[in-house]
Amino acid sequence: MIRLGLRLAVTGGRAAIARLALVGGAVALGVALLLAVFAGINAVQSQNLRYAWLNSAVTEAATGTEAADAAGWALREDYFAGRRMARVDVAVTGPDSPVPPGMTRLPAPGEYYVSPALASLLASTPADQLGDRFPGRQVGVIGDAGLASPDSLIAVVGRTPQEVAGIIGATKITRIVSVSPQDCSGCYVGVGSDGITLILSVVAAALLFPLLMFIGTATRLAAARREQRFAAMRLVGATPRQITLIATVESTLAAAAGTLLGFALFPLLRLGLDRITFTGERFFLGDLSLTWFNVLLVGAGVPLGAAVAARAALRRVRITPLGVARRVTPRPPRAWRLLPVAAGLCELAWFIDRRPRTTNGQTEAYLGGIFLTMIGLVVAGPYLTMAGSRVLARLARRPATLIAGRRLADDPRAGFRAVSGLMLALFVTSVATGVITSIVAYRGETPVGTATYDNLSIGWYPDHGGKLPAADTPIPAGLTTTPGVRDVLVVRYQGIVGNLPTGAIGCADLTRHPDLGQCPPGAQVGAVYADLSRPDFGSDVYEASPMTLAQLPSLPVNSFVVLTDGSRAALEHSRTLLESTFPDGRFPSTENEWRSDFARTLVQFQRLADVVIVASLVIAGCSLAVSLAGGINERKRPFALLRLTGVRLAELRRVITLESAVPLLAVSAVAIAAGFTAAALFLRSQLDYDLKPPGLSYYVLVGLGLAVSLGLIASTMPLLRRVTGPQQARND
Amino acid sequence: MSAALEARGVALSFGETPALRGADLIVETGEIVAVMGPSGSGKSTLLHCLAGILVPDAGEIHALGRRIDNLNEAERSELRRDRFGFVFQFGQLVPELTAEENVALPLLLGGVRREPALRRAREWFGRLGIDGLERRRSGELSGGQAQRVALARGLVGEPAVLFADEPTGALDSFTGEQVMDLLVDSARRQGATVVLVTHEARVAAYADREIMVRDGRVTSPAVAS
Amino acid sequence: MSVPLTLLGLLERQPSHGYDLKRDYDLWFGHGRALPFGQVYSTLARLARDGKVVMDEVTPGEGPERKRYVITDRGATEVDTWLTEPVAPEPHQQTVLFAKVVLALMLDRPAEEYLDTQRRAHLARMRELTEAKRTGGLVEGLLADHGLFHLEADLRWIDTTSARLDALRAQVKP
Ligand SMILES: Nc1ncnc2c1ncn2[C@@H]1O[C@H](COP(=O)(O)OP(=O)(O)OP(=O)(O)O)[C@@H](O)[C@H]1O
Ligand SMILES: [Mg+2]
Repeated sequence: MIRLGLRLAVTGGRAAIARLALVGGAVALGVALLLAVFAGINAVQSQNLRYAWLNSAVTEAATGTEAADAAGWALREDYFAGRRMARVDVAVTGPDSPVPPGMTRLPAPGEYYVSPALASLLASTPADQLGDRFPGRQVGVIGDAGLASPDSLIAVVGRTPQEVAGIIGATKITRIVSVSPQDCSGCYVGVGSDGITLILSVVAAALLFPLLMFIGTATRLAAARREQRFAAMRLVGATPRQITLIATVESTLAAAAGTLLGFALFPLLRLGLDRITFTGERFFLGDLSLTWFNVLLVGAGVPLGAAVAARAALRRVRITPLGVARRVTPRPPRAWRLLPVAAGLCELAWFIDRRPRTTNGQTEAYLGGIFLTMIGLVVAGPYLTMAGSRVLARLARRPATLIAGRRLADDPRAGFRAVSGLMLALFVTSVATGVITSIVAYRGETPVGTATYDNLSIGWYPDHGGKLPAADTPIPAGLTTTPGVRDVLVVRYQGIVGNLPTGAIGCADLTRHPDLGQCPPGAQVGAVYADLSRPDFGSDVYEASPMTLAQLPSLPVNSFVVLTDGSRAALEHSRTLLESTFPDGRFPSTENEWRSDFARTLVQFQRLADVVIVASLVIAGCSLAVSLAGGINERKRPFALLRLTGVRLAELRRVITLESAVPLLAVSAVAIAAGFTAAALFLRSQLDYDLKPPGLSYYVLVGLGLAVSLGLIASTMPLLRRVTGPQQARND
Repeated sequence: MSAALEARGVALSFGETPALRGADLIVETGEIVAVMGPSGSGKSTLLHCLAGILVPDAGEIHALGRRIDNLNEAERSELRRDRFGFVFQFGQLVPELTAEENVALPLLLGGVRREPALRRAREWFGRLGIDGLERRRSGELSGGQAQRVALARGLVGEPAVLFADEPTGALDSFTGEQVMDLLVDSARRQGATVVLVTHEARVAAYADREIMVRDGRVTSPAVAS
Repeated sequence: MSVPLTLLGLLERQPSHGYDLKRDYDLWFGHGRALPFGQVYSTLARLARDGKVVMDEVTPGEGPERKRYVITDRGATEVDTWLTEPVAPEPHQQTVLFAKVVLALMLDRPAEEYLDTQRRAHLARMRELTEAKRTGGLVEGLLADHGLFHLEADLRWIDTTSARLDALRAQVKP
């Protein structure tokens, strides 16, 4: 019986082979994606573990071997050209010091180790922009074991114990932390791997969903014929169990072949995957690997799932010996199908002003709502299609409109299935674009020429462990004359006065640089933040400071703000100069860099979203093409007969175009509307932002997606001509 | 002679449409009975009930000395496979299989091994004058050839009852007669009972007697006279 | 075509004048060829002689147009026998069959059953011919075929007619 099933599966004629190939291909893609997601999750975890030693200041989490001689340890965040850099200043006190991974020993005073990426930057950058930040000489390169990513910028600088002790946040350590940051509460260096795992899961779902739809569509290809064949077998006495067995063998075969292919495809995907730096740092290729459990799960689970799905699908159609010749019209979809979408959107709306406290709660609430909306759209699709077709049939003037409308109304599920993938893609695109564009508009990085990009500030915050420089601390020599530096401003520390910011600046300075904001009319001194940043929703006008202009020079320095032209040379030269002048405090940064963590993550997510969108558009396009071709093939006899009786090909074309374009457009409009509504609700609830209109690229993408879909519809026309030729009227 | 098939008060509705409303019929063993009647009168439905394809809403059906309307799906499938043969109008061959595989299908489904099943199937090609077509797919056969392949498939399991629904419906009169000649000859040789649904008098004339179905009832004398 | 039996049948509806009989006959069974008066009256005279009809004199002595013919029990029996019996299944029987059907409808007899009986007779004959064809030689077969096709044509007509009996009944009995 199994042999008969195999025999039927591989000799089923061109349509059946196409079906097998499509299902196999889709399964392969799905398997490769699934593996990629597993590998991604594994990589995030491995990468996180690679960050462990940077958290060694959290001594209670340390698990490494105990060293006899405690070492001084101070971790600070530095930047180069917008990239984050970890700098650890260490002080050896004896021969038996703790040793971080990737190094054989801690550097002695006057020596430093750097990561390979930093080493090559050092070699290619003038010393006054980078190298001068590190006292002494480079004695070695940190091995891969100590790096989170091949691109990591890390410097381990050897200093004397006294020097290290003076640095902000310095501690003494005897052991290196080797547990993953996610298992250690104080370890702040690392990635929030739970969040990333969740996001990857969403991505996987967003991709797998259209794939499943596609598999569904492909399975239904030539389904009538297949059912007819099963019916013929039932007639001569095949029991339902035998039919189920044969069908199961068929789909399991496709799934198994697809799974194998997927495993073959995965290495390629893996090569591309290390380019998508969704943790902000590229992965080591070796970290993007699968566990045996993953392999087993996918390798056995997918074919098994296919077998189960085949059974379930057959249970629904119930093949009688009289087969499909006598099939009752399925019941039309009811209005309740709109409920899940509404429920999803209501859920999101409900959380406005009721934002859950924990991150987990938030992800559950928002992702849950968005997911519900997404599934709701799939559920609502047939109903919407039917509604559209009713309108179409009512407006019908010509036979083509009538036929298309009737067919859609007759089986709206089939009509919808063809465009469902596209609808999901559009929904995901709209949500992602809506959310990301808006967040970026509020919080994103800004380009050269804006204050947040150009202005480098170094500040001291007494309530965060900083020691304010004395009032007479001069502006470091050579800073104002650095090429590209337009001005250097000094913000004085006025202390905590009411609700005002702690900084104070002469209004004359602000008048010189109107882009930094204004003093209120008549004021002499403005109350400002140390980095001269404005609050997110701040007006251009600062509040007045109670200080007088005369008091200012006697106040300690709160910060120096270097206004540059935004060039890398100006920024990095100023930074290097400031770091050498003030080696113990926080390092200078621009506002952009300060935010870069978040902004970069956003950019990564945008990239991830783009991948998802393009991929799901492609998959959806395939779905559409397959189901169109399938629909034409299924009806080639009636169409051929219509043509024989004198119906013009153009009329048939119109039928095909209408019956796919109508659901396409109807459902797209709803998906886009739902997507932006969901995005707006999420933004309002989670961040209290307003939805910003999407950028040009969105319109291009959506336009392109729709154009490609319509193009696909058009591309089936030659097929229509071919399969409705007179020879098709022959029965077989 | 004992009855091969017996229907007592068989009624069956498709939703609101009553197809059979109390049909009574007795078919003796070895008899060839033509079922005639206007279109939509319930002929096919009656045949489907007698063959255990459909289960009547009311009434009893006995076949080969056993009540079959209360058997379950799998039991009825096995009965069809082992004791019944079928020839329908068209569309009954599995398009993916070759002609000989189609003929062997009931045997394969019944657990006969592939080689002996194909050997038995091939014998029929000569007998029905279609030798040389063993390896063709159903799409590569003419209507008459396909119908003979279907006949071979109906007879290969040496069924006790052969059910034929418009077996010549798609054929010209000459080819139709050839198929009917073969059908009757083979059935007589095997001693098979035949239930033959047709609206063509010339086809019905091959039967021992005919019954009329009208509005879901058998209106001619139900018992052989 | 049996004119006497047809006229008898027409008379069974109701007593009629010769002229009415001729008109109804022409309308239903004449097929464009009118029945000559001479034939009507000579036939009626023969029927009267055989006791199948009698004269019902409404206004005696006023000429032939005043005479109405009435069917007798004997005549009625004959009509009944004729209608009930199948016509010998030979080709070219349509007119007889047709007359029987129309009359049966006019007389509220079970026309359907007549047709069924006829069908059975035809089929029985076809079975014989089929058997002859299957067992005989080519010539017998061809001859049998000729008969079969004609009988089949009759049967088709029988089927069509039974499908349209209701419509026909409505026309025949306004
Ligand atoms: N699957 C079905 N669903 C609904 N109605 C059905 C179904 N099958 C048959 N019928 C109805 O049952 C009645 C009898 O159908 P059946 O197929 O038995 O007629 P038939 O005598 O075989 O006609 P024909 O000579 O046209 O084949 C018809 O009115 C038909 O419309
Ligand atoms: Mg039928």
